[in-house]
Amino acid sequence: MIKVRGRLLTALILAGGLLPLAVAADQEPAPPRQQVKIAFVDIDGDPRYQPIRAYERIVLKTPTHPFTGAEIGLDDAAIFSRMLPIDFALNHITVKSPAEVEPAVSAALATGTNFFLIDAPADAFKPLAEAVRGRDALLFNVSEPDDALRRDLCAAEFVHVYPSRAQLMDGLVQFLVSRKWRDLLVFEGPSPADAAMTAAFTHSAQKFGARIVADQHFKPGTDPRDREQNDPALLSAVNRDFDAVFVADEAFDFARTVPYRLARPRPVVGSIDLTPVAWHWTWERNGAAQVNSRFERKSRGRHMAGADWAAWLAVKMIAQSALRTRSPDFLKQRAFILGDGGFDGDKGLAVSVRTWDHQVRQAVLLAAPYEVVDSAPIEGFLHRTNELDTLGDDEPESKCHLDR
Amino acid sequence: MRKSLLLLICLCACAPAAAKDTGLIFVSNEKTNNIIVIDPKTYKITADIKVAHRPRDMHFNADHTLLYVACGDDDVIDILDVAKLKVVGKLVTGPSPEAFAVDEKRKRIYVSDEEASSLSIIDMEHNSIVQEVPTGSEPEGVLESDDGKTVYVTSEAGDLVHAIDADSGKVVHDVVVGLRPRRLAATPDGKELWVTAELAGEVDIIDRGRFVVAGSIGFQPPGMRKADVTPVGLVMTRDGKTAYVTLGHAAHVAMVDVTARKVLGYILVGKRAWGVTLSRDEKTLYVANGLGDDVTIIDTKTRKAKISVPVGRIPYGVLVDD
Repeated sequence: MIKVRGRLLTALILAGGLLPLAVAADQEPAPPRQQVKIAFVDIDGDPRYQPIRAYERIVLKTPTHPFTGAEIGLDDAAIFSRMLPIDFALNHITVKSPAEVEPAVSAALATGTNFFLIDAPADAFKPLAEAVRGRDALLFNVSEPDDALRRDLCAAEFVHVYPSRAQLMDGLVQFLVSRKWRDLLVFEGPSPADAAMTAAFTHSAQKFGARIVADQHFKPGTDPRDREQNDPALLSAVNRDFDAVFVADEAFDFARTVPYRLARPRPVVGSIDLTPVAWHWTWERNGAAQVNSRFERKSRGRHMAGADWAAWLAVKMIAQSALRTRSPDFLKQRAFILGDGGFDGDKGLAVSVRTWDHQVRQAVLLAAPYEVVDSAPIEGFLHRTNELDTLGDDEPESKCHLDR
Repeated sequence: MRKSLLLLICLCACAPAAAKDTGLIFVSNEKTNNIIVIDPKTYKITADIKVAHRPRDMHFNADHTLLYVACGDDDVIDILDVAKLKVVGKLVTGPSPEAFAVDEKRKRIYVSDEEASSLSIIDMEHNSIVQEVPTGSEPEGVLESDDGKTVYVTSEAGDLVHAIDADSGKVVHDVVVGLRPRRLAATPDGKELWVTAELAGEVDIIDRGRFVVAGSIGFQPPGMRKADVTPVGLVMTRDGKTAYVTLGHAAHVAMVDVTARKVLGYILVGKRAWGVTLSRDEKTLYVANGLGDDVTIIDTKTRKAKISVPVGRIPYGVLVDD
């Protein structure tokens, strides 16, 4: 069951009074206008967007689908329609389950949509990859950090705009190491996402010369018989000293109990306090303040988060590809997006798509609740070609080689 | 010419007090909300003037008696008396004014409003916005043509330079340039418009007649990564032969032969070099280092920095009263 919302947002020419430039310059009749169609696909009931509750009535977080990010991307692109005989259209498709993502994408592809923003959990990606293999489609992953999508699924039709767990954790560990906080205590939760996060963090620690003092598996809950596993003070009462605690807790209910309850006065990073993110509402450098305020106006006050940034950037990449190639031709646009031109992600260094696994190389922000403390790559972490490739799977260690 | 005008003003004994070619260096500081004034001989800070929040672009009036400062977070342009070193008035702008141009003949200010994605045309006499011209996202650099008929504006996020008819307030031309265009400079012959493209790491040269990009100049300072080359500020000598381009994170200023479109050399400055200005005799170059919180003063003959002077936090622009 596919629900197509009745909001086909066509980029309109901005304020009136603009001369039809192409005509004025060439003295030729205006070419017929073409449309670049973009579909945003999400899932109603996606577990990643369920409100995180403490008790039934206390809502701690309300993660929101990043469609507004795509909308501000479209707003930004509107002005290009002044220079190009091209309009951009954004279609919001909501399905009911991960299994329905692939049929929805295939149906839209059959009717002339080539660009897709995929806001779905990892299990929706495999059938998608099989359905679009070799076809004229480019699918932007705007919300899923799963490393396996980059390493094992390794599909040429995907562009992973959202950072991988490997990128996020590398950014976090670079920061910790730059502060000389090298001895790290890990609190690992029971979910598969917690395990994946811990694995990525452990790998990053090895990569940048930090040590895991102990990996403590916690058991969420308040059962006093489990206190050795659910009390942060007892969990942190380890023999060796540590500089910081890393908490991997997607469910968040344990993570929120960790700060100020440790056996030693130490900072907490990971799922709470200092978190590595693709974007933060307090980021104000590199023109970010304007993006944040455009987003907040559009969403009526919501704070822009990582997936919103990824959706915004995906639309921006598509619009730029039309602008720079001056063409409605999908193949030219795809070549531009996957090329080495670079895009302005408002995070400093220009972002671009890695040729080997189609991950967007980008800065990772180290965010405290009300402040971006730093942005990785941290100064001093060097790379032979591009500092952004100190984060995540670099070409030599990548399992995926789409460029070979 | 300028001296005689000065004399005239002195004779008229009109307020504000006449300029004195003080040589004082004015630096706007985004995060400390002040204008730091530096003595040109001792390099000591002689005044610290509180202004509205987030002061950025600055311009003198023609006789240098007044200094206009765009203050982004309070949506005003503060007016400073240069002799008294005090804020004496303000003009109201649109949201988040960043850069502007002053047209004294028409008593107008053209200011880019970053948040509104528009160029405000302000009537200075009536202190009112007479027109809002829609631009691409995040407009920044503003330049008025010598004849006052055209205003050029860059759109940082739209990768565009607009040409706006000053009378009608309509966009008459757009041109697509490199990623994140920031500031503008015109060659004195009126033929070319130079624009820094921060993320493209280049200066694009626009042919003003045809309004197309007719060339570009890349930069590669010694020991620096291409990705760190983020040009923002630029200034040209009056003879139109030499341009100085600040390279942002690459911590250098490039000296460019304008006619040959070739880089003559690089001068080491501070972190995230943005704002740049020349002294009137063009012997000294001043560069504001945004992340270094200082200003580097350079001898253009030896192409070496003489001194760096600590100022406020995130210095944006620098101007000299001479």
